[in-house]
Amino acid sequence: MNEIMAIAEGTWRRILRMRVVYFLILCVLILIASAYNYDVLSMQEHKPLMIDVSLVLNTIAVILVVISMTFEIPKELREGVASTLLTKPLGRTQYLIGKVVGTIITGLIISAMIAVGFFVIFKFAFNEQIALAMLQSHILVMASIIPMSAIAVFFSVFMPEMITPIITAIAIWFSYSTEKLIGVKFLYGGILPDLGLYNFKAFAVYGGEQMSWSYIGLAILWGIIFSIFLVTVSSLIFRFRDIK
Amino acid sequence: MQDDYVIKTEDLSKTYGWFIWKKKIPSLDKLNIAIPRGSIFGFLGPNGAGKTTTIRLLMDLIKPSEGCATVLGMPPDDVKTKHKIGFLPDAPAFSPYLSAYEFLNICAKLLKIPSSERKKRINEVLETVKMSEHVKSKLGGFSRGMIQRIGIAQAILNKPELLILDEPLVGLDPHGRLELMEIVRDQKKRGTNVFFCSHILADVERMCDRIGILYKGKMLCIGTLSELLSEKGTRLSIKPGHDNMAKELMVEALSCNKLPDGSWELVFPENNAILEKIRNTKEALAGAITVSASKESLEDFFFRKIEIAKKEKSS
Ligand SMILES: Nc1ncnc2c1ncn2[C@@H]1O[C@H](COP(=O)(O)OP(=O)(O)OP(=O)(O)O)[C@@H](O)[C@H]1O
Ligand SMILES: [Mg+2]
Repeated sequence: MNEIMAIAEGTWRRILRMRVVYFLILCVLILIASAYNYDVLSMQEHKPLMIDVSLVLNTIAVILVVISMTFEIPKELREGVASTLLTKPLGRTQYLIGKVVGTIITGLIISAMIAVGFFVIFKFAFNEQIALAMLQSHILVMASIIPMSAIAVFFSVFMPEMITPIITAIAIWFSYSTEKLIGVKFLYGGILPDLGLYNFKAFAVYGGEQMSWSYIGLAILWGIIFSIFLVTVSSLIFRFRDIK
Repeated sequence: MQDDYVIKTEDLSKTYGWFIWKKKIPSLDKLNIAIPRGSIFGFLGPNGAGKTTTIRLLMDLIKPSEGCATVLGMPPDDVKTKHKIGFLPDAPAFSPYLSAYEFLNICAKLLKIPSSERKKRINEVLETVKMSEHVKSKLGGFSRGMIQRIGIAQAILNKPELLILDEPLVGLDPHGRLELMEIVRDQKKRGTNVFFCSHILADVERMCDRIGILYKGKMLCIGTLSELLSEKGTRLSIKPGHDNMAKELMVEALSCNKLPDGSWELVFPENNAILEKIRNTKEALAGAITVSASKESLEDFFFRKIEIAKKEKSS
């Protein structure tokens, strides 16, 4: 467990140390706040617009964190950064789990900053109680990091540095559209994860009062189970890989 | 399990690549070595001989195509044995955004050094490699030699039982080289077994008691230095201030060196007439001359072995 946290720590420190991350978070918050000015253009629908923008941008931020890992891990493996760590008493599976946990923690921190920033802006702009549905939708966005990190790590263990981010982005896009791919039974049968589970934009925007906490709990549980499955497959591949 | 050998390999082979991309020639071909405890082993060979490949196989970074190895009596993929091993890769690379201290702290955590001792131990190794003043600097801004020093620091962090160093002298300044030799000697005193490869033969000769020479993936020879470097002639050391005599003897010498302090070193072939002459001179000038058996230098030995191997390959 300590080993996993040591690896995870290295990962989140890296991203949270980059100043550009905070700059981007600031940009996101400015974009969310500027939705307030679209009252005329959107025919007084600027409140739902703001909620919508906040959820979209939070989702994009989380995806960016995950994609940044697909640059990071293959680079570590290629440059030999990973090999120094892997020759310490650290199993290869532990290394992968550490990477997943690190990504999840990074994503959670960044996503939480955006959500909190949004709530502050919202309260300031409309002076209204923050609806539970809004909070829950943001929580689900954060929870979506769990399966996405596993997808990123999975592709990172066997794909070359150049291709990994692209393939991961495509996989994530597909996973968000499983609903539309429902006709393709084979794909929907569980091979692709269903990230639609975490997407409650419409619900939050148009008057949903509250969703059941057990749904959120189950969605998180599903994410964890899916991650465990994918990390197991990744570690089977990783175990036989030559590392520089 | 206590084993008499720190490292043992049986027909260890590696061919890089996979499936149809597999290379035709193995990078390591049926390597059989057994290194007993308590030795400093120098692993030599020209570029591309397969030294790094062997070390990476021993560290379980790559998987053998054939054969097997044991390190400290355990297979290379045993995670627990790694507590007792220190390893310096051939081109160390560390996360550039971590400071020297943070990096070593992560290593210490992985090595399960208790948190109460971590700080002290990290400062200790940083002192050993003379990097104390750079504790807080980011690794990304380090020079090649500084990275090498941090690499050495992380390798000795856990007071290893076996130290595997892949070209530890690369990038080090003259002081660094001496310091490294000091570290290796120190480790030997503590009972650490050292396995390292290097191209600087003079240093290898000074540090190692055992060597092996690898050529194109095959072991040419392996053994203790004293076994391998055959006796060859007589060495004569003449104290300073006897230049005339030295010049007189020089004519018959194989090699002749005047050292900076004014003393002379002459090497003579095995030849009775010359030996007689030396003995006479020695009696006349007692105290000024010391006679010892002269040994082939490791460098000569290395070139000779590689030359023979090359000829065998071409014929
Ligand atoms: N990742 C790799 N993929 C394919 N071939 C490789 C790889 N690494 C090494 N080789 C090949 O294996 C052979 C042995 O390489 P190795 O790095 O073990 O040599 P070395 O003895 O360490 O050389 P040097 O003294 O230059 O460090 C070389 O012919 C090299 O081309
Ligand atoms: Mg090498």
